[in-house]
Amino acid sequence: MEERNNTTTPASAAKKSCCGWGAFVVGLVVALILGWWVLPNLMKETKRQPIAFSHVEHVQKQGMTCEQCHFVRADGSFSGAPTTAQCAECHFTILGSDPEEARFVREYVQTGREIKSEWLIYQKQPDNVFFSHALHFGPLAELHGPKETAEFCSKCHLNVAETDIPPVYRENRLSGYSENTMLMWGCERCHAEHMAMGNTNASNACFTCHK
Amino acid sequence: MDRRGFLKFAAGGTVGLVASPIIWNTLYDAVYWTQNWGWIPRLKKGASEYLPTVSKLCPSGTGFLVRTVAGTPVRTIGDGNNPVTHGAMTALAAAEAELRVSPARLKTPLRRSSDGAYVAITWSEAEMLLKEKLAAAGSLVAAVSGDPTSSINEVLSSMLNQLGSSDFYFMPDEEMPAAAAWEAMGGQGRLGYDIEHSDCILAAGAPVLESWGVVAANRSAFNRTHPVAGEASQKLIYAGAVQNNTAAGADLWLPVRPGTEMTLLLGVANLLIKAGKAGFAAGLQNFASFVSAYTPEKVSGITGVPAARLEEAAKALASAKKPLVIAGSALGSGGSAGPVMAAVAVNMLLGSVNREGGLVDLPFPVSVVSHATEYRETIRKRFVDYTQSVAAGRTKAPAFLLIHAANPLYSLPADSGMKETLDKAGFSVAVASFMSETCEACDLVLPAALGMEAFDDVQTPYGSGRVTYALARPVAKPFADARSAGELYIALAQELKLDTGVKDMPELLYKHAFALGAPFRSMMEEGRVHPASTSLPASPLFYNWEAIRAAASAKAAEGDLQVAPVVVLGMGTAQTAIPPFATKVVTDYQLKGKLSVVQLNGATAAKLKVQSGDHIRLVAGNNVEITAVVAVFEGILPDTVSLVAGLGHTAFDEFSRGKGANVLALTSVSREPGTGLPVWGLAGVKAVKA
Repeated sequence: MEERNNTTTPASAAKKSCCGWGAFVVGLVVALILGWWVLPNLMKETKRQPIAFSHVEHVQKQGMTCEQCHFVRADGSFSGAPTTAQCAECHFTILGSDPEEARFVREYVQTGREIKSEWLIYQKQPDNVFFSHALHFGPLAELHGPKETAEFCSKCHLNVAETDIPPVYRENRLSGYSENTMLMWGCERCHAEHMAMGNTNASNACFTCHK
Repeated sequence: MDRRGFLKFAAGGTVGLVASPIIWNTLYDAVYWTQNWGWIPRLKKGASEYLPTVSKLCPSGTGFLVRTVAGTPVRTIGDGNNPVTHGAMTALAAAEAELRVSPARLKTPLRRSSDGAYVAITWSEAEMLLKEKLAAAGSLVAAVSGDPTSSINEVLSSMLNQLGSSDFYFMPDEEMPAAAAWEAMGGQGRLGYDIEHSDCILAAGAPVLESWGVVAANRSAFNRTHPVAGEASQKLIYAGAVQNNTAAGADLWLPVRPGTEMTLLLGVANLLIKAGKAGFAAGLQNFASFVSAYTPEKVSGITGVPAARLEEAAKALASAKKPLVIAGSALGSGGSAGPVMAAVAVNMLLGSVNREGGLVDLPFPVSVVSHATEYRETIRKRFVDYTQSVAAGRTKAPAFLLIHAANPLYSLPADSGMKETLDKAGFSVAVASFMSETCEACDLVLPAALGMEAFDDVQTPYGSGRVTYALARPVAKPFADARSAGELYIALAQELKLDTGVKDMPELLYKHAFALGAPFRSMMEEGRVHPASTSLPASPLFYNWEAIRAAASAKAAEGDLQVAPVVVLGMGTAQTAIPPFATKVVTDYQLKGKLSVVQLNGATAAKLKVQSGDHIRLVAGNNVEITAVVAVFEGILPDTVSLVAGLGHTAFDEFSRGKGANVLALTSVSREPGTGLPVWGLAGVKAVKA
């Protein structure tokens, strides 16, 4: 006890107090920078879509509707992104002067390579989530035009309808999913709050989504 | 920085990390990461289609819808538009989508190397080898097919005929003894059964709701004639040793000792004649005189069926408007012609031949391939006669032996000579979809596409009451490196400069459809089954009482206990083994651990001093011995034991290998008196508590 008291002088006590708080603050700031910016960015890998597809060109300039590419099949399943064969219904040959279109025709249409299997899905859900687009499309009937439809779809998806190039896809290195993948709380905005989009009567029971 | 400073830095860092989202987000990401583990099944996403086609694994050629998602088959379901099955299908056909990717599925051609192990080779190497070996074999070529309903057989028989060999055979099946019986009784066409329109059926030994004939169609007819609410419009009487599913569904069950079905039918014939049912044909008087000895009391003593119940069955047949009598066996192969002859005679007495709801004289399938052997000729040939002759050295061993869609090493008795024939064959080839016992014994194994992966067909399966033609069409890509067996043989014939008259399978199928007047294009596009309306003039049938008398003199199998095998298609066939998808329907009354379960009734158990759960050794006349677990079941006759067939595989995958014992191992080949047919449907065993 005596020996220990001898090592503690008033001068060293003052030094300890000053440097101790400084170290705490430095640690806090470094951790906040790491936790809010550095590590989240390191966790994500930036990827580009295989073709710089322009929704603006197709929807606004060519007058296509969303349903021409994204539709519910007769069996109730959702088509998602179109296949090379669907794109080739128009792009069986090079139609315009966009080099990306020419590359698509050369590399996909003419070789039979499947664009759908390479397209990065921003909102892909794991298989333990059962999601039916058909069940969620009820309000679509009351919407008019691509703009309203895009607003409705962007409740969950990125609003790509007004983009000239696809948004950057950032994939989480651990989970393998896009940073835009909707988490469960996103579903519960409506499933737990029935009046969030008018009265949806959506059930929030586990088995509604997890079969 | 001193120690205290470092600790405060760490404390600040910890507070900072906790105040940032990285920890919580990483935890969330970890939850998603758990969904990426390799062993977690992945959903196939994409367009869902329901494509009608037919099963080539199910012996009755069940029609079904294959549900595909993004082109991959995910399940099979009944096809309500199918005019044969009306939406019903068998347990085996229900498992076909999963069987497509079974662990036992052959993925690539395999050649046996000098050290006995298989090595994977390419298809071009396999084709070169086939061509070389076939060319060197000359006329010493033999082939056997386990799929009698396919046109592919015509290509094989055509090749063999042109190479100078007549050794093309079908695997023994239910039709072979029936064809011999029908011919002996004067039948000129192919024996068919109009089950759908009959109002009273006596099925002697033929489990019509489980494994006999066109099972899915039989069950569909049963469902329609036995509504849940309301009166049944058909009476089903089943005579069999075990209260199986057919017995459970039947309106009347006649528990008959194994191998005495013919006696039972002759007893019924006697009662019908006494009741004034005597459809006239040559030989009636002699037949009536012969069966008069089969009094109800005598028949009851031999068969174990109470005389009153026998009389009840005869009365039901006599009073029915459209009665039908069917004879068959549970095993589906190795049966005798005698019971079928007796059944034909009873139908003749009842006037149930070439009449709606009775026996039907159907035309045989006609060959459309040049130089092919006609179906009616091939069905007469006996493969076991050939293999026993080769084994005994009476016939030269084949220099080239091809086994198509069959597993004879498993499905034939040990004394059939199959093993010896394979050993003696210069070069043996198995074309199959799964790694069977026979594949493991062949020099070259070629992976065949399933019916849902290639063009093939189903021509009127045995047991049908009308001519039907169905196309199997590729609704999915062949698994791994599997190929259409039909296309392989046609290409091989072309390489060898043999003339088959067809350039590919679609042309072969078109020719068949054209011959039947079937709408080929719509069958191809929509997968529809064509029910043809062809008929034959009535055959000049006669009561061949001498043949019946000879067959009736067959002796029962020796042994203290008679074996009554039970066949359920959920156990698969010799070619498929137990489908992995169907393992959940294998019960503790069929397989316990790695041992087969032998069922016997309380009286037999008491006699043997065993009880449920005991182990018992069954020793057959051929000295084959199996150990099984006893289960006491009162739905079985005294001195009879029942074992489920389809177990005891030594090949395939972990779902079948080493599970239980093969009931066929207990059987031995004998010759039926009169017809000389090789038969092995019966087995007698001695039982000893293990």
